[in-house]
Amino acid sequence: MSFRLILEGKEYEIAILRRRPQLILRIDGIEHEFSELGGAGDGRHDLKTATRHIDFFRATDNDRQVVRLSGRTFEVGRIDPFSEGADAGGSQDALRAPMPGVVVSIHCKEGDQVTRGAPLITIESMKLQTVLAAMRDGTVAQILRAEGETFEKDEIVVMLESETEKA
Amino acid sequence: MSDPLFKKVMVANRGEIACRIMRTLEEMGIASVAIHHVTESKARHVQRADEAAEIHGETPVSAYLDIDQIVDCARRFGVDAVHPGYGFLSENAKFAAAVTKAGMTFIGPDAETIALMGDKISARNFAEENGVAVAPSVMPTDNLDDFVEKAKSIGFPLLIKAAAGGGGKGMNIVREAAALAEAARIASSEAQRYFGDGRVYAETFVERPRHIEVQVLGDGVGNAIHLFERECSVQRRFQKIIEEAPAANLPSGLRDEICASATRLAAAANYKNAGTVEYILGADGRFFFLEMNTRLQVEHPVTEMITGMDIVRAQIDIAAGMGLPLSQSEVRASGHAIECRICAENPEQDFLPETGVVRYLSVPEAEWLRFENALAHGQKITADFDPMLAKLVACGPDREAAIERSIHALGELALLGVKTNIDYLACLLDHAAFRNAQLHTGFISEHRTELAASELDETERAQVLAAAFLGFREFRDLVVGTPEPHAAIGGWRN
Repeated sequence: MSFRLILEGKEYEIAILRRRPQLILRIDGIEHEFSELGGAGDGRHDLKTATRHIDFFRATDNDRQVVRLSGRTFEVGRIDPFSEGADAGGSQDALRAPMPGVVVSIHCKEGDQVTRGAPLITIESMKLQTVLAAMRDGTVAQILRAEGETFEKDEIVVMLESETEKA
Repeated sequence: MSDPLFKKVMVANRGEIACRIMRTLEEMGIASVAIHHVTESKARHVQRADEAAEIHGETPVSAYLDIDQIVDCARRFGVDAVHPGYGFLSENAKFAAAVTKAGMTFIGPDAETIALMGDKISARNFAEENGVAVAPSVMPTDNLDDFVEKAKSIGFPLLIKAAAGGGGKGMNIVREAAALAEAARIASSEAQRYFGDGRVYAETFVERPRHIEVQVLGDGVGNAIHLFERECSVQRRFQKIIEEAPAANLPSGLRDEICASATRLAAAANYKNAGTVEYILGADGRFFFLEMNTRLQVEHPVTEMITGMDIVRAQIDIAAGMGLPLSQSEVRASGHAIECRICAENPEQDFLPETGVVRYLSVPEAEWLRFENALAHGQKITADFDPMLAKLVACGPDREAAIERSIHALGELALLGVKTNIDYLACLLDHAAFRNAQLHTGFISEHRTELAASELDETERAQVLAAAFLGFREFRDLVVGTPEPHAAIGGWRN
């Protein structure tokens, strides 16, 4: 099982290697063992590794975690594999934003015929640029965000023409 | 406690300063009236007040600037006096006049004094007439021979500027008499070329200027005292972010001279209430009048901490006609205090304002610490108002202790959900040049590279990622929350 987090514009992979008796996470390729995980939710918590005691503050801000640790504050986002593109569930017509961010550039216009995988829009989130691609072949029905505009996670940014309409 | 002279006071402001003024009103047994735009009906300053009035405006800021509406509110609520705080209408002569005309007391100077000091030229002339040093200058002229003669008499270094100028064109620093004539000629021809106007003027060039200001109190009939100076040299975007009292390494003779100059100006103006005389101080010890702020200053707490005085209380007493709270010889200062302005801004992007929601707030407590704020969990930080969110003010027996305590307190402070300059301020206070008090108004640009946030090392990065990972509920459930068999069959939502 591995998950992807974004910190300062870079993507990192985190995998749970073992949960008991001690949690072992593989973070960016290196194994880390934690003997105490601290409390859940927002607040002041501490993590313990075999050799260290790590005191930090944490809060949930929309779909990000804000962590204040050793005098510095970081925003950490995640890439949820189940909200990306066609996997968002439900409609096959809507391209949804996998995380909150801003539109950097748009690579299509309304009425364009696109094939699955074609880049439709480039977004930036947590300083990381990501290209959102067409989740199936189809025609661009509507572009809901202009360049420079912001959106929340799961907001629809591009709509393809409904396949049933076409039929 | 004897009966206060005012029974009810309106605080025509918002945020931390409204709360801070109300704190003193409470202590004095005076009822408070808050004003607020509809977007702030649940704000801390509204909850803290005894009564609150909603004011209207197209934008929240315009409501706080609406003189007629605010004066009308004050009258309807039957207040005896209005405290303007800082910003908004605090230095608006028309507002002071309107409050007075409506039969209430304006807690501040007379409208005439506000107008006198509010105009740069009249303030400068008034200061000069009353023996307060102003930066020597030669008025714009196109007679270069005459210009050179006059400029020489000012002394060096000199800054020659195009009268019509801007953008650094036609600007020239001259360090010796021999170079003056040629520099004037070049400046004038450049000015002619760029602006079609060859007139040039000159003023004393202050190298590595420090911003020193003096807190004064006046009784309105010619008596004035000072509460010593503050240093506010650390600025970004021409605004202060760190202030301290006293100014570090100021020779005592020079300090006395600057403070005396401010008192003289206040007395000459028959200044009433609290005010601040601002100076620019050169490395050579020359100081020049910059302006006078006719209101309570954002950074007044550092003065309160070293003098033990409550400046808001002094303002209220003076406005009520009780005169100065103490004589000059009774004013004592000890220790050192530092104020850090906590702003919603991104130091890595030229301090541009940031917005967000206060998701988590944890404030350290200590008897040497004041955290002036009006923050609440869940509060939206919008672009409607100034990005200053709070002030962290710490004092100690000396400057070193005040710095240490400030850094410690900033480290313990957590304000999550909006990007702030908290970490940057801690880094700045810890910089060797700050610790050594090598201060000037260009401090932040001079030390830009060292003040930039450093890269995370691998261990720290892993800690941040682990802490964040365990904050995402679904991830955490996988690690601790899910029953063993379910997790064992594995996968996440598979």
